[in-house]
Amino acid sequence: MRRAPPRVYFYWGAGSDAGARTAASAARSTERPGEGGRGGGTVGGWWWWGGGGGGGGSRCSAAVGTAGLELWPNPGLLKEFPRGRRDADATSRAPGSAASAVTPDLHTHTHTHTHTHTHAHAPLPSSRSFLHFHAMQVRTVLCLLSALARVSVSEQEGENLSGLSPNPEKDIFVVRENGTTCLMAEFAVRFLIPYDVLALNRIDLITEQATLSLPRGAEVTGRCASAEAELQATWQNGAYTLRIFFVKETRSVEKKDGRQQEAELWKISKVQLVYDTSETTHFINAYNPGKHTASSHRLSAFATPAGRSYVCAATQTLTLISSDHQKGVTVSVSETRLQPFDITSDFVFSEAYKCITDQREQLEETLPLILGLILGLIIVTTLTIYHFHLKLTAQQPQLPRDRSLYKNM
Amino acid sequence: MAHLIRHKISNKISSAASGASDRSRAGLSGVFARLGFQAATDDEAVGFADCDDLDLDHRHGLRLDVLGAEDGGDSRYQRDAAARRASAGSAGSCVELEAQDKPKITAWEAGWNVTNAIQGMFVLSLPYAILHGGYLGLFLIIFAAAVCCYTGKILIACLYEENEDGELVRVRDSYVDVANACCAPRFPALGGRLVNVAQTIELVMTCILYVVVSGNLMRTSFPALPVSQEAWSVVAAAALLPCAFLRSLKAVSRFSLLCTLAHFAITALVVAYCLSRAHDWAWDKVKFYIDVKKFPISIGIVVFSYTSQIFLPSLEGNMQRPADFGCMMDWTHVAACVLKGLFALVAYLTWADATKEVITDNLPGGFRPVVNLFLVAKALLSYPLPFFAAAEVLEKSLFRDGDGDGPCPGCYAPGGRLKPWGLGLRVGLVVFTLLMAVFVPHFALLMGLTGSLTGAGLCFLLPSLFHLRLLWRKLQWHHVFFDVAIFIIGGVCSVSGFVHSVEGLVEAFRYDVED
Repeated sequence: MRRAPPRVYFYWGAGSDAGARTAASAARSTERPGEGGRGGGTVGGWWWWGGGGGGGGSRCSAAVGTAGLELWPNPGLLKEFPRGRRDADATSRAPGSAASAVTPDLHTHTHTHTHTHTHAHAPLPSSRSFLHFHAMQVRTVLCLLSALARVSVSEQEGENLSGLSPNPEKDIFVVRENGTTCLMAEFAVRFLIPYDVLALNRIDLITEQATLSLPRGAEVTGRCASAEAELQATWQNGAYTLRIFFVKETRSVEKKDGRQQEAELWKISKVQLVYDTSETTHFINAYNPGKHTASSHRLSAFATPAGRSYVCAATQTLTLISSDHQKGVTVSVSETRLQPFDITSDFVFSEAYKCITDQREQLEETLPLILGLILGLIIVTTLTIYHFHLKLTAQQPQLPRDRSLYKNM
Repeated sequence: MAHLIRHKISNKISSAASGASDRSRAGLSGVFARLGFQAATDDEAVGFADCDDLDLDHRHGLRLDVLGAEDGGDSRYQRDAAARRASAGSAGSCVELEAQDKPKITAWEAGWNVTNAIQGMFVLSLPYAILHGGYLGLFLIIFAAAVCCYTGKILIACLYEENEDGELVRVRDSYVDVANACCAPRFPALGGRLVNVAQTIELVMTCILYVVVSGNLMRTSFPALPVSQEAWSVVAAAALLPCAFLRSLKAVSRFSLLCTLAHFAITALVVAYCLSRAHDWAWDKVKFYIDVKKFPISIGIVVFSYTSQIFLPSLEGNMQRPADFGCMMDWTHVAACVLKGLFALVAYLTWADATKEVITDNLPGGFRPVVNLFLVAKALLSYPLPFFAAAEVLEKSLFRDGDGDGPCPGCYAPGGRLKPWGLGLRVGLVVFTLLMAVFVPHFALLMGLTGSLTGAGLCFLLPSLFHLRLLWRKLQWHHVFFDVAIFIIGGVCSVSGFVHSVEGLVEAFRYDVED
């Protein structure tokens, strides 16, 4: 994994057009002015959290003079991201501002989140002054925190500290509600969608495959409840929508001594992808273009004990059945970190629960060391035994003691 | 102190006694009488310890006159040769005194060792060579066998010199000796050192390759277990630790016999499977033309799979009847040639264009683990021979034993048993091969690189060169022609193999960096 200090600037620079989108979405949002201010504050807070972190952090690091170390946008997030070869990069890119509309009914409120990658100097029009003031304070605080964070969590900084994953497909999604985070998901996802194309003879249909991934800058919405949660990401003006449904349930587990134990766990119950084959960047000459929905059937994936987050660095594949002639859409997720329930503090993942593949990989990596140690012990034991064996059975030198051996002369 | 002198004396006596056997019988009894007198009691022995050196030099001087060797003054060779031929026709007492005598091997056992060396793991890539070479590949298999048989024989011929009676006497004992003899006038030690280094590299790389291959095969046979290739390599090295206790070529020959049996089993299994699909054979797919880009790799695979010359001097030296050597070489190479050719052709005909680089990848799923297990057994059983040879070469060159002449004190205690730290060094060699197997990436490509240099050098270039240099006066025109032709062909193969290996390595590393 490589550190990519320039990436911060590219990223922030490239996404500057998103500022306009933020403005538009903010205008569209159904926030009430009072709430809006708070929402805006939250927007500002999070956004500056990320932006200030991204921009200011790099400046801070330059100021402090550490070579190549970048600041995490959020020191809290830093603690939670696992170390290791695959997960060395925590992609706590700022998920963007949240213009939230809070309604009393907790089960139906929606949060409109937008991924904004606006430059540090392009604040939202709706709360400009507030953000400006906020910005200054947060920047200084961040600078101090960055220094502290680097000192305190210097071990966990891993290889990529720019706050961005070098993997362009990896993204983090946060659903916030009531000023607290209620759902956090981070993964790299890739879709393989088959679609029909008319053959050259104008009669047959050939199945082509389109590969697409979730771009950064998708609109993220979600909803949280005590036993259900949903994450929805929409991009390309609604041409694609990905919905992931989480559910929490209680399962009774048979323990060794025969007692039944109630164990709470959460899992993904349904994944749905809506795609439009008339969208020409990915689907070339699709036959009968239109919107199709691909859903999973009776899915029960990523089961994790309640109160913990699911971590998996390996690639996992799900197949969704499409409404387009029952074609199979393949969804490959990798470098996942999910937590849809029981998030204790803002932007902090709870204790990680590793998937089986990761556990196996860990076992695979430690096994050679253990075997090597055993081999070393065997060698030392053998040499010691041989040494003492030789000492105990030392032979006399084989010189002839008398002349009788030379009688052949 | 007395211990040291006793040790020295026993060495001198043994070497002198056995050295004396090379001489004409006339002076034998007189020498022994003198020896017997000197070694009668310890006190006398102390007194005569200094005299022994002069005696030895005198005797060696005499022997040199008798033999008229070209390499004047290098008494080491005679002493080496003498020490080894202790049992041949000498008095019984000398045999008892010869503490480091090792049992001799029969021609059959020498044959198993040679088969172990020439029918190695590369046989699995031969169908791939046929894929890219067609009939030329088959021809190359046969041709390479003939060439390697010939170079083996001329290498052994370099060990002998004609004495004044017209008999052939073994004056040189190892490849290093031959190299030193060739460079004798101006650089008496340079040739030996080069050959030593080349030999060591080749042998150690072969050992490492076997560890790598066993780890890889186990990994592909049991993908469900959470045991990685490195872990399997450690297990393989643990299984190979007892090799450190090998003391004689006879024990190694037993391992080579088992290895050959495993190889026959693998060949039989694969050929039987291919025969069961005989109706599908694609006779028309065997090509007459060559794929110019891929064929040089095939040349490398075919040609360097016959490399056994490193082992030949010591094998021949340890044979009970060295006269059988030529016959043994012929039969082993013919057998190898026939088996390899048959295997390659049959396997290629079964899978034609789908032939993979290692033929076991083509085998159906249920059959593959069985063949893989046999291959692992073969790799583990092949390990003792190069390991033993490498340990001997290292001990000889670095340690001062009865035979060797190096900077460090000897590995062997009086009585011929290995000292604990000598054993520790051998174990260290096993561990070194394990570490290299685990930590060196792209080992097969690296092996191709070193193989094309050291393998080609030791098998083609050097034997023909030494043969021309040492036996120039006795060679007939067709021998000269063969030697020169082999030298040129060997040079071409070596250069092409080197270039392709470097290309392959550069590409592999670039792929790694980009990844």
